[in-house]
Amino acid sequence: MRLKIIKLVIIGLFLSLIFGLVHLQIIKGQEFYDLSRYNRIRIVPIDGNRGRILDRNGVVLADTRISFDVVVIPQEIKNKEDLFSFLGTTLEIENDKLLKLFRERSAAPFVPVVIQEDLSREKAIILEENKFRFPGLLVNVGAKREYPFGKVGAHILGYVSRINQDKLKKFKDYGYSVQDVTGYSGVEEYYDNFLRGRDGGVQVEVNNRGKQMRLLGMKESLKGQDLILGIDARIQKIASDVLSEKKGAIVVLDLNTGEVLAMVSSPSFDPNAFVDSAKSKERAELIFDSDAPMMNRAISGQYPPGSIFKIPMALAVLDQKKVSLDKTFFCNGSYRLGRRSFRCSHSHGMQSFTEAIAHSCNVYFYNVGLLLGPEAMREYAFLFGLGIPTNIDLPYERVGLVPDATQFFKRAGRSWSRGDTLNFSIGQGDVLTTPIQIANMISTVARGGREITPHIMISIGDVDKKELILARNIDISEKYFEDVKVGMKAAVEEYSGTAHLLAIPGISVSGKTGTAQTSGGKKHHAWFSGFCPETKRRISFCVFLEHGGSSYYACRAARKLLIAMRKQKII
Amino acid sequence: MTRNLNKIIWITTIVIIVVGLAALYSASYQNSRISQKVFFDQLILASVGILAIFGLSYIDYRKFYDLAYVFYIVNVIFLLAIFIFGRYALGAKRWIEFFGLNFQPSEMMKFSIILVLARYFSDTKPKIEFSRYGLRSEFFSDFLIPLVIVSFPALLVFKQPDLGTALLLFGIFVVVLYASGISYKYFFSFLGCGLVLVPVLWSFMKPYQKDRLLVFLNPNIDPLGAGYTIIQSKIAVGSGQMFGKGWLSGTQNQLNFLPERHTDFIFSVIGEEWGLAGAFFLIACFFILIMTTLNLVDRANEKFGYLAGIGIVSILTLQTVINIGMVLGLCPIVGLTLPFVSYGRSSFVVFVLMIGFLLSLGKRRTVF
Repeated sequence: MRLKIIKLVIIGLFLSLIFGLVHLQIIKGQEFYDLSRYNRIRIVPIDGNRGRILDRNGVVLADTRISFDVVVIPQEIKNKEDLFSFLGTTLEIENDKLLKLFRERSAAPFVPVVIQEDLSREKAIILEENKFRFPGLLVNVGAKREYPFGKVGAHILGYVSRINQDKLKKFKDYGYSVQDVTGYSGVEEYYDNFLRGRDGGVQVEVNNRGKQMRLLGMKESLKGQDLILGIDARIQKIASDVLSEKKGAIVVLDLNTGEVLAMVSSPSFDPNAFVDSAKSKERAELIFDSDAPMMNRAISGQYPPGSIFKIPMALAVLDQKKVSLDKTFFCNGSYRLGRRSFRCSHSHGMQSFTEAIAHSCNVYFYNVGLLLGPEAMREYAFLFGLGIPTNIDLPYERVGLVPDATQFFKRAGRSWSRGDTLNFSIGQGDVLTTPIQIANMISTVARGGREITPHIMISIGDVDKKELILARNIDISEKYFEDVKVGMKAAVEEYSGTAHLLAIPGISVSGKTGTAQTSGGKKHHAWFSGFCPETKRRISFCVFLEHGGSSYYACRAARKLLIAMRKQKII
Repeated sequence: MTRNLNKIIWITTIVIIVVGLAALYSASYQNSRISQKVFFDQLILASVGILAIFGLSYIDYRKFYDLAYVFYIVNVIFLLAIFIFGRYALGAKRWIEFFGLNFQPSEMMKFSIILVLARYFSDTKPKIEFSRYGLRSEFFSDFLIPLVIVSFPALLVFKQPDLGTALLLFGIFVVVLYASGISYKYFFSFLGCGLVLVPVLWSFMKPYQKDRLLVFLNPNIDPLGAGYTIIQSKIAVGSGQMFGKGWLSGTQNQLNFLPERHTDFIFSVIGEEWGLAGAFFLIACFFILIMTTLNLVDRANEKFGYLAGIGIVSILTLQTVINIGMVLGLCPIVGLTLPFVSYGRSSFVVFVLMIGFLLSLGKRRTVF
């Protein structure tokens, strides 16, 4: 009897085993089968290194170097306390912080958690030597972007960082993924698609410790293409030094090709701060700094051009045949319109066309403005690329503004008056331009009406992109350009010229100054834009000082720039 | 008839051993973590073991009756010796070096307990008639004394710590006690007391033992720690589906997802590589072996053989069911081997002794 009961119990136990087996293998079999597949196949990404960025002489402006990251694989940790106290002392981080970091970054047991990026070599060696004592601890060798020039050229280069949500959404279709590093601002962003390497990966079979057992497949990673810029690192350095702590921008263009030789915006930032995870405080300061060091003033800063605006107006009035070269206007220091008086810098007396440009006589150009009328002025401003983007190969270029009646009415709440025309004619009022627009406009004039889109990149990888340079001719008689250039040359070479400071022996400079009034009691903006048509390398340039006082200071900066360039035998 | 029963025991035992060897070969096949030595070790053990079974079947099982107390006492001494000379491995002191071989006295204790209980219950005890104390006398001699006999070594095993084997010893006791014909009154009050003692036992358990039990209830509370084994084991068996992934082709197995798969988790290898078909076959073998043993025991006309046979049935059943149950995630993880299949010298030797004992029992029957 008792034996029978034992028998029944045994049968019951074995039946339950069979039920368990059937449940696991048949009912849930497919599910577990899939699990076992994903259990063992893992994709190990191999970073495709980002292409380098070089200047026109082959100087490296941005490179990718080796860095060491501390990584912990959660599922392999044996003794968490030991490991973290060891990490804490080695990395000099408090234990609580470390644990918090670890918890925050943990995603799944087998996903490595980055504890600290870019260790010093010494620390990496210490960790590597002790790795065997702490299962789960790894020192990964990765690639880090490095900008050897730091603040110099930061705005042209931009920086790289992990891709953000917005970009990811936009570029998902182009093969970007969450872990990708992508360029922000500058050419790093503009040419990201060329620069970035294509991440490859190997599909491996792993065992429970994540150790690779067998290679299943491989997709080779591709190195990104090297980007060669038209920038000359020497000029860039000189221009940076000239501006140093002053707010402003300098653009130097090659007059023949439209290549940007240097583009400085000040204050600047160190792009390396975005690469180093430890510099988050520095990053935050950069982003919240009221001086906006992250903004590239050369293309994104919009400022009234002041008297430089007289150059397109001069060409307009010649082209419209409203004045001839020998037509003079009398300047007694101000111009009366109704009850209002519009001032000039001096009493210039009788001013011819050339003199008016050389002396930057406001009264002459008030007359020009009235002769042209606002509509024609707008038309010519646009013709010379003011108020429209230059399409330089950098992101975040701003358009500037050439006022029209509707815009003006919206802003000022009143109709356009003749007084506004006067202000408009000397580049005041609502006109806004960017330094690159001014540099581009002056270059166009210097080339006798041929506009070449300014560009940073001159070749990428093996492909020469010179053919892609966009150029157009402005349909104004060459003779008029020559007439204007005479005035611009006189501005420098005549003793009474506004830019006489730039009469440097051996360098012939032509140009135009600008002092733009600003509202709010701040100092005026200072401009000088000109070109050197006879130097070894023919250049044009624009110097802009934000609230720099008067154009005198811009001329002084330009003088420093040219002399330093001559010294280094660049021009 | 009993000849046939003996034959069935022989066949099923050898089939189980062969299946175990095949699984072990796969578990250690081209593997960095489990050396192929494990397989060859077991191969030698199996060959010697089969010869030993053959030899044992010709020895009168009543010899074990004579030696039961000696076995027991020597074994207890070994258990005590562990605390002094024992080798520390895998977080517990279970092994002792004996003539250059590592040996687990706790494994042997299973057999010793069976023998000593069978002998104790089969001996006619002098009845002390105290008239109204008569009941109490039965309580002492038929229940309390055997309980002490089991509890002492069980406590030592528990201290090693080896919860699984300690509980198994009590399991054997319960079955043998039941078979000995004790009145249901005592039997069920013992089980009741056992249930009451569970919380007490809980407080004596090591943290890792508590973890194992908690994890058994929900493996996902600690998928990387204690729960890891259960999850990986279920994946292994489940992914085998109907006919398995094929011998030497189990991914969970070959890629080391399962720790201890050559010992306690060997069944997962079988489930994964041979599927339901193979797993069912092995379980069926065990079932036939156990049922045949029961039939054989049923025919025993003498109490020692009968009770020892029941004890062997109980240990075969409990270890098989608990081991496979834990691989399938039906039981908590306790360190119990799958008879003849798991790698492990001590375990194998003990089962060799048991099968030898059974065959001898079967043979003697015909003589009587």
